Amino acid sequence: MNKLRLIIAREYMSIVGRKSFIFMTLGMPLLFILIGAVPVLLAYLNDKGSDTQQIAVIDETGRYATALHSDDMYNFVALRGDTVTDAREFYDKSNGSIDAVVIIPRDVDSTGVVDIFSEGTITPALVSTLRNTLTDTIEAAHLTAMGIPDIQQMIEKAHVDVDVRTIKWSEAGDEQASSTEAAMGLGLMLSLITYMFVLMYGAMIMNSVIEEKTNRIVEVVVSSCRPFQLMLGKIIGVGLVGLTQMAIWIILLAIVGTVAGSVLGWTGVQAPSPEAIAKVQDMGAMQAIMQQVMSINYVPIVLNFILYFIGGYLLYSSLFAGLGSAVDQPSDSSQFTTPVILIMIIAFYAGMACMENPSGPMAVWCSIIPFTSPVVMMIRLPFGVPFWQLALSLALLFGTALAITWLAARIYRRGILHYGKKASFGDLFKWMK
Amino acid sequence: MAYLDINNVVKRYEGHTALAGVSMQVEQGCIYGLLGPNGAGKSTLIRIINRILAADEGTVTLNGKQMTDDDITHIGYLPEERGLYKKMKVGDHIVYLGRLKGMTKADAVASMHWWLDRFDLKEWENKKVENLSKGMQQKVQFIGTVIHRPPLLIFDEPFSGFDPVNAEQLKVEILALRDQGSTILFSTHNMASVEEVCQQITLLNHAQVVLTGSVDEVKQRHKKNIIAVQTPDVIEPNDNLFTLLPPDPVKKHDTRIKLAQGVPVRDAINWLNEHYRLTGFTEVLPSMNEIFIETVKSKNVENNE
Repeated sequence: MNKLRLIIAREYMSIVGRKSFIFMTLGMPLLFILIGAVPVLLAYLNDKGSDTQQIAVIDETGRYATALHSDDMYNFVALRGDTVTDAREFYDKSNGSIDAVVIIPRDVDSTGVVDIFSEGTITPALVSTLRNTLTDTIEAAHLTAMGIPDIQQMIEKAHVDVDVRTIKWSEAGDEQASSTEAAMGLGLMLSLITYMFVLMYGAMIMNSVIEEKTNRIVEVVVSSCRPFQLMLGKIIGVGLVGLTQMAIWIILLAIVGTVAGSVLGWTGVQAPSPEAIAKVQDMGAMQAIMQQVMSINYVPIVLNFILYFIGGYLLYSSLFAGLGSAVDQPSDSSQFTTPVILIMIIAFYAGMACMENPSGPMAVWCSIIPFTSPVVMMIRLPFGVPFWQLALSLALLFGTALAITWLAARIYRRGILHYGKKASFGDLFKWMK
Repeated sequence: MAYLDINNVVKRYEGHTALAGVSMQVEQGCIYGLLGPNGAGKSTLIRIINRILAADEGTVTLNGKQMTDDDITHIGYLPEERGLYKKMKVGDHIVYLGRLKGMTKADAVASMHWWLDRFDLKEWENKKVENLSKGMQQKVQFIGTVIHRPPLLIFDEPFSGFDPVNAEQLKVEILALRDQGSTILFSTHNMASVEEVCQQITLLNHAQVVLTGSVDEVKQRHKKNIIAVQTPDVIEPNDNLFTLLPPDPVKKHDTRIKLAQGVPVRDAINWLNEHYRLTGFTEVLPSMNEIFIETVKSKNVENNE
């Protein structure tokens, strides 16, 4: 036990102490923030950076051009339809002082088509501004033209958004409000975490095994402890590294979330730019989702998540450790890892497919088969799973995980001392005996 | 009872036998050479002693007791293919290996300092292993092997890759450990080092012991009754007593004679002394290298027939 602790500590420190770990741990969230922030930033720079565009609006109807309001980006200059006969000539004569010409044709009420001309680029933002403003204006004009009094108010009154509430009947007979969206989101998140963690840290274990073999340190180490202790130490050590990394990410996320929330709230009050409003509205939606998320009963989900997480990690990481021991170089490992990764991907897609029908036969089977259950059961958990299925699935998962660990240890014991000729799957089976 | 007693050990792999009933007795406090060509089974035997592999048949006893997993703390093992964690600091690495062998942290740290001092590596304690030269890394590996003061040391090709200066230092350290009472098992095909340090040897070939005994005894057993004679005269052959051999390529001035069957050395020398002006003579004993090659070759021929 003492040796196991030593091995775990060394394995843990060897990864956590590395610069690349600190880099990864801090870099990943930064990368995500960057991915999120760049479009907003670019849009912002676009707004601020470019000059106000001069848009000539030739309104042949004479009724709608006034609806286009100038702002920082676009200065709409309304022109009477009869003053300009040739838009092209008008554009050319302006010598670049006009960026685009909009023509609202006389028959716009019936066709609903407006043209915009320019030698330069016409931005999608301009097109959508025109489309939204003119659609609303012309629609309102049509309604008014119908001559029914208070039509606007009537329409507003008649407008309805249907909200489908999902209410779960428990066996005891009481009703519990639940949210399918929140359940789906939570399930997806849990299965993604499991999937990412197993793949990332499984690969890390394999590299660590191969590194010891290439280093030739492994023979010295196994002359001091049992190969099984070394393998288990690695699995636990790397698992702890993963948990550390997750903990750091959660803390970072909390900090960034708090800071970003307060900053966004502040700008929302000061300058209600469209982006900020959209953000605030998003946050409102987020809050609504959060409330739904809160309605889910967490204790059994978290407990099961931890159990499946441990079982799945043990299962796949010992597979990776066993397979890693059979190769001399990381570049040779793909022949063994490909099938494992394939199983993981199948599990993930099965999970996706099960979201549509979390109680269907496919979902049930995939959440009981040990190789897919850690991912698929995560999807099902928030929707509620019968106890016997959970019990069967967990028993199978842990039984298989222990069996695989035992087999992997047998492969590992032989593999770490095997150099030279590339091992085949046949060799692995022989080593298991 | 020998300190390390290997009794009829068999190890089979799929398709071949690595050890076919090997027995070997290593006395306490001696340096024991385990010799043999590549693939003879040396590494397998060493791994069985280290409990990295399990024997299919036979027993290994240490100090009169059947070996268990706990006994590995009494062994220091330097494998032929050896390495270190490149990213670990030298001091931490040595302490880790010591603690894996069951030392307390304080003991391991103290021992590490003592050894680093002895090998002039003190200022490298907090450097990463990857910054060390190859020679220094080998010294660190050696320290890692002996840090826990094991009564039994196993060195697999310890001198391979060492430059002559470091090899000499290593040899001195190994002899010092022997003088302090350690028993040393030494696997090599460097025959010069065998003659210099080993008292006993066992020669393995094709999974079997083909030769065993003390170095002197083995040499006596394999002597060819050749005498190198120093004389200014030209010796003529005498078929009753001896035949002449072509001169040794190194010692060209010696005349080498091979005694006829059953002729005592003294009769031949007396006769030579009467007929020529002898200035000296020495009995030529075969080198371990010659014995090694001869034994392995003759056994291979036997096997092929």
